[in-house]
Amino acid sequence: MTTPPALALATAELKRVTRDRTFLFFLVVLPVLVILLVGLTNPSSTSIRIAVVPGQPSPLATQLVHDVEASPALTTQRYATRAQGVDALRRGEVEAVVVVPATLDADLRSGATIRIPVLVTGAVQSSQAAVTAVSSIVARHGATVEAARFATAHSSRSLDQNLATTRSLQRETHVVPVRTEVVNRKSNVLPLGYNYSAPTMLVLFVFINALAGGAAMIQTRRYGIFARALAAPIRPRDIVLGETLCYLTLALGQALLIVLVGAVLFGVSWGNPLAAAVLIGLWALVGTGAGMVSGTLFRTPEQATAIGPAVGIAFGMLGGCMWPLEIVPRSVSLAGHATPHAWAVDAWVTLLSRGGGLADIAGYLTILAGYAVALFAFASFRLRRSLVTP
Amino acid sequence: MSAVLAIALKDLRQRLRDRSVLVIGFIAPVAVAALISVAFGSAGSFHADVAVVDLDGGPVASGFTTFVKGPDLASLLTVKPVTSEADARAKVAKGDLGAAFVIPRGFSEAVTAGQSRPITVLASVDSSIAEQVARSLAESFTAQIEAVQLSVQSAVRAGAPPSSAGNLAAEASAARLPEQTVTRPAGTRALTGTSYYAPAMGIFFMLFAIGFGARGYFLERTGGTLERLAAAPIGPGTILAGKSLATFVYGVANLGTVAVVTSLVFDAHWGPPLVVLALIMALSLTMVGLTALVITVARTERQADGFASLLTFGLVLLGGNFVFIGSAPPLLRTLALLTPNGWALRAFTDLAGGAAWTAALVPLAAILAFALATGAVAYSLRGRVAAP
Repeated sequence: MTTPPALALATAELKRVTRDRTFLFFLVVLPVLVILLVGLTNPSSTSIRIAVVPGQPSPLATQLVHDVEASPALTTQRYATRAQGVDALRRGEVEAVVVVPATLDADLRSGATIRIPVLVTGAVQSSQAAVTAVSSIVARHGATVEAARFATAHSSRSLDQNLATTRSLQRETHVVPVRTEVVNRKSNVLPLGYNYSAPTMLVLFVFINALAGGAAMIQTRRYGIFARALAAPIRPRDIVLGETLCYLTLALGQALLIVLVGAVLFGVSWGNPLAAAVLIGLWALVGTGAGMVSGTLFRTPEQATAIGPAVGIAFGMLGGCMWPLEIVPRSVSLAGHATPHAWAVDAWVTLLSRGGGLADIAGYLTILAGYAVALFAFASFRLRRSLVTP
Repeated sequence: MSAVLAIALKDLRQRLRDRSVLVIGFIAPVAVAALISVAFGSAGSFHADVAVVDLDGGPVASGFTTFVKGPDLASLLTVKPVTSEADARAKVAKGDLGAAFVIPRGFSEAVTAGQSRPITVLASVDSSIAEQVARSLAESFTAQIEAVQLSVQSAVRAGAPPSSAGNLAAEASAARLPEQTVTRPAGTRALTGTSYYAPAMGIFFMLFAIGFGARGYFLERTGGTLERLAAAPIGPGTILAGKSLATFVYGVANLGTVAVVTSLVFDAHWGPPLVVLALIMALSLTMVGLTALVITVARTERQADGFASLLTFGLVLLGGNFVFIGSAPPLLRTLALLTPNGWALRAFTDLAGGAAWTAALVPLAAILAFALATGAVAYSLRGRVAAP
């Protein structure tokens, strides 16, 4: 039994490109590194980042710093000096800097009223959320100090004794509680951390690598492999099919690897398996189609490797792989849906954040299938024409 | 000297004729900066639509509504009308409201009597910041009530007669909270997405020149031009200087163009021009060192291509060109300073954030140290370079 020509061509091409270690780096190592990096920088909580400059280590100041650090709404980092805190603010590492005054303890004990500076960048409104969160903690700290001062004025006990009492009363009773009720369970955006980075980077990298695969195709053409293959009893159709098979295998392999690494190393849940598999399959087809277009559109491998990834990154940005389209203006989000990426990311949101199944993403899948068909039609038209052009 | 210039000019001409170099070096970084400025151009500060469901109707509850609608919070919140609690829930779930406050029936009465009824913040899974802000606001408001109730309870615990609670409460109500926050400008400028990603992407695409340069060397070797150059009455030092000069000029032209275009067209803040130029020149020197390093380590064109890719992506991933390093964990921010591009980004970030030009001095020294170190390593390995 002989191997069908398309399969033989695909195997030969696959062997050739996977021997290239640089190609393997982009196929395997780079996506994993980027998933790790984006996952780390998109922490899984959305708390507000605050710098705290603790000032003097006096009891009331220490308690206030502790209260700020214990707040679930905030992620805090301590800085020894105000200048270091301002540096962090300037670099976007924090949204505001709380500077605990050195005289806080003495002033509060003497019955004075004090103001705690919260340093913000540029326009004050930009950090309102952070300021509001800090203000509520300061207010509650102030409530215990006020109560302790009041009790001291009406009893023979010391301020420190009364402070201990008010703190424990506040913990025990939480006089006027504020509770939160989340009214819905299904999210419209991808979760943060690796659950965001893994699916979006799958979309990004499968596409970019497929585009870069176009360069290998041009190389194959330049080596004269197509011309020689055509001299054999092989139809152009088989060559097109062989090329498609080769790059589809690579795209699927890369997607599968990202799924495995995501699940095993980063604990990513990929949702409904059938729906996820169909989505990945269709996305690999879209990527392969785009790669074939790149392979037939550009003349030199250098052009394909230079322009392909740049286009891939741009599409990824427009399509919501680098940041959720929910945070950009509506017009940008609409424009982003000109790329297949946006539809693929939408489908992942439905699968991962809303617990959707195959039926729920059928619309997105149809659109992706449309992209794949259009790209393949264009590519095979061009490929048949360019097959014999050296 | 003229030989050095001739070699450099030839290399530059050749490189600029390559359309893929133009795309990678000039079009791609500007296009990416454009995309980022379009995506984040109008993304302002946090603002949420909220609603208050007042099931109480008492004075404390209306005090809360007045507080939330106050002018101080106008830039943060817009209070929208709702018809009922169910209406508020539906609007929060749909995303029309960021959060809603529900003041329970009997709230004012309970507060006056020194008891407690909880305020509920309704939030959606997708509006965690709005939820936290709403919760903080409610807690700021209740802190004043809490102060009065805690004052009375603490005084009684400390020995004041329980029968005097009424008088104590009246007295405590007159007091103000002793601590308040005051918002002050830190003297920094807000770091926009464009101001961060214009240099980040500019440097990312500039580093591709390591690959171009190294590959070009091996192509010349196989093409035989190096042999012919060696036959000419010029030393290997002249050839090396010419090629290094070309790489340096290309680097300066590349990142310089990105800086000028993104500053003029997309309002990216790079910093004072002279300091920016110094940083760009230092980075270009580093690129010369890195290119030389790749040429000495690689044996073939393919290897050179591979090493250059590894180096480029290793540097940009670690240095923070790909993600906003400010939101990375502290360890990653420290690791970024192991790269010249990480130092450059730190300088550009500080300058964009309104720091004085002196903030660029340490990064500049660090980048030059990288240039020197890579150049020195390449020089010590010069014996490895295969003869043409």
